[in-house]
Amino acid sequence: MPFGQLLVEGLAIGACYGLFATAVVIIYKTSEVVNFAQGEMAMLSSFVAFHILSVYQLPFWLAFVITMIFSILLGVLIEYLFLRPAKHPSILGLIVITLGAEMLLMGLAGWKWGAEQKFFALPLNPSVTYEPVKGMVINNWAIAVFIVTTSIMLLLYVFFKYTRLGVAMRATQQNKHAAKIMGIRTERVFSIAWGFSSLIGAVAGMFFASRATLDPAFMMEPFLRAFAAAVLGGLMSIPGVIIGGGLMGLIENFFGYYWPHWKPIVAFIVIILVLCLRPSGLFTKHFVKKV
Amino acid sequence: MKFKIFVSFVAMLAALSAADVSQAAPPPGFDDNEIRIGQWGPQTGPAAPWGSVARGSKLLFDIVNEEGGIHGRKIKYFIRDDMYNPAQTAAVVKELVERQGIFAFVGGVGSATGMAVRDYLAANKIPWIGPAAADKDFAFPLNPYLFASYPLYKDEGSILAKYIVEKLKMKKIGILYQNDAYGKDGLEGVKERLATYKVGLVAEIPVEPTEKDMASQILRLKTAGAEVVLMYLSPTAAVITMKTAANVGFKPQWVSSNTLSDYPLMFKITGGLWEGVITAALAETPDSKSPLMIKYREAAKRLAPEERWGVFYYAGIVFADPIVEALKKVGRNLSTEALLKALNSTKDHQTLGPKVNWTEKQHQGTDSVMIHKCGPGASYILLQDWTTNDLATWKK
Repeated sequence: MPFGQLLVEGLAIGACYGLFATAVVIIYKTSEVVNFAQGEMAMLSSFVAFHILSVYQLPFWLAFVITMIFSILLGVLIEYLFLRPAKHPSILGLIVITLGAEMLLMGLAGWKWGAEQKFFALPLNPSVTYEPVKGMVINNWAIAVFIVTTSIMLLLYVFFKYTRLGVAMRATQQNKHAAKIMGIRTERVFSIAWGFSSLIGAVAGMFFASRATLDPAFMMEPFLRAFAAAVLGGLMSIPGVIIGGGLMGLIENFFGYYWPHWKPIVAFIVIILVLCLRPSGLFTKHFVKKV
Repeated sequence: MKFKIFVSFVAMLAALSAADVSQAAPPPGFDDNEIRIGQWGPQTGPAAPWGSVARGSKLLFDIVNEEGGIHGRKIKYFIRDDMYNPAQTAAVVKELVERQGIFAFVGGVGSATGMAVRDYLAANKIPWIGPAAADKDFAFPLNPYLFASYPLYKDEGSILAKYIVEKLKMKKIGILYQNDAYGKDGLEGVKERLATYKVGLVAEIPVEPTEKDMASQILRLKTAGAEVVLMYLSPTAAVITMKTAANVGFKPQWVSSNTLSDYPLMFKITGGLWEGVITAALAETPDSKSPLMIKYREAAKRLAPEERWGVFYYAGIVFADPIVEALKKVGRNLSTEALLKALNSTKDHQTLGPKVNWTEKQHQGTDSVMIHKCGPGASYILLQDWTTNDLATWKK
């Protein structure tokens, strides 16, 4: 068994799941809404990057910055246009709105760029690999995933712990009404959370697209995996979902190596088991509904 | 007065029931001036790249019409977009049959989409020629109205395995197959052939169509020491396979089904990794110098300049050509029975694709494929001309 190689590959794809799950959790933490349009928001941002690279032929880093700005605006806009106008919304109602947004975004991408698969690459040569230990090949893609995920996690930690906005976001999550009384503009906090989440999702989306192909449906499967990783980690804790993503990647790869038939479902079986034994996930305390 | 009302009421009923009768029987598929032929195919949606098949058939009919039609009748051709969705296929086919009146269907991308209308077409006695999918259920058991000309994946797998062992002299073979009828048929053909050499597969790995991470599967092939890997996959899964293999430093000879033989597309979406891949092929190479290929290629520049001269586009000609040939044979006295009779006497008919043979007892028209290799810049290299499967049991 190529243990080291499976470890590297499992952790790399797991970090991608974790990164994308973080995007899901940021919205869930602030508004308790599971955003089903998350995958398609990332898809649309990846298409924008693709468009800038292939049509305007700008250098990658410039395209990346423009895409990040676009993704933030997209997140803010979806919150502002779709979720905010809902009068006295129930959580279920908001979730259905995100499903509608998902279909809208997918239709939009299909109309603009067509259904044919597109080639999307990060500026990393896929054929350059390193072998630090014999039998353990590490490639540029995996290295980029590890570096980016770690950096984003550190930034998020600093942001939530030490910045005014981060503290305001945490306050809104803990008690929206009290936060409002304290002068926090909670609606603005929601918008910012959507923008943030969309940005992180877009980064993960570009990693997924460069691993496979870019087409309007390419984020459906990664979204499901990432959502499962988020549930595994407990939906409320960002370090939890990263560990959840890592576990998910490792379980899939080690299990998939021996029993490829079971690869697509093994992770979900683990999640069902976890939810039976620890309904709030592995890394959060039991969730009590706010009243 | 009452009598008048009664008479007009009866007249109205009669008119209504007459209208009803005329709706019940579908309008005829031809008249003195035209023959109406239809095809469904994904022009939008996830399978849109294969939609060029239906447009390729249009090129053939346009050429036929330009040359004066067939025995004084022009072909009126209808394309309907079913978005690769069987429910849509059923709807668009019903609309064509019952509103427009269709004499025959040609092509039609997809197994599930075709299965959604197979029985409906047979019940309405409408011939269907050259489905653009290799499904055993199209030709077996024999359906008098359905004429298949797509080589079965099982035959193709067998021919590819023979090529690998005899020409490439490689015996450590692994396979990645999509976990459905397409992949399993291919696997079956490969295994059947390898059994004759007493060689086993070093790894046989199923892949779900939605799979996005293939690392463990690729590592399994690498550890098993596969020198050559066969792919019965979707384009996306094949791209993930190639990229992942490059990432873990695995460089076998890749061999694939004809479904991935659109080299310009595969070359583009793999970022050039497709170079060197060997595939089965349904038709001659796009740059072939055969007179027919030159004729169609030139006609496409004139009649459909917006189309890319890709394999799936001119496969549309391959699937539609037998009906043109049969209609010519029938002559002016056209009927469904006469067309079926002409189709059943199709012998060694060949255009850009394999030789097609149909008899009253056998409607699987071929078991042959070519073998091509993707060269630099997505060019086509011919490795092996038309080859039949000597192990095909259905022929006996």
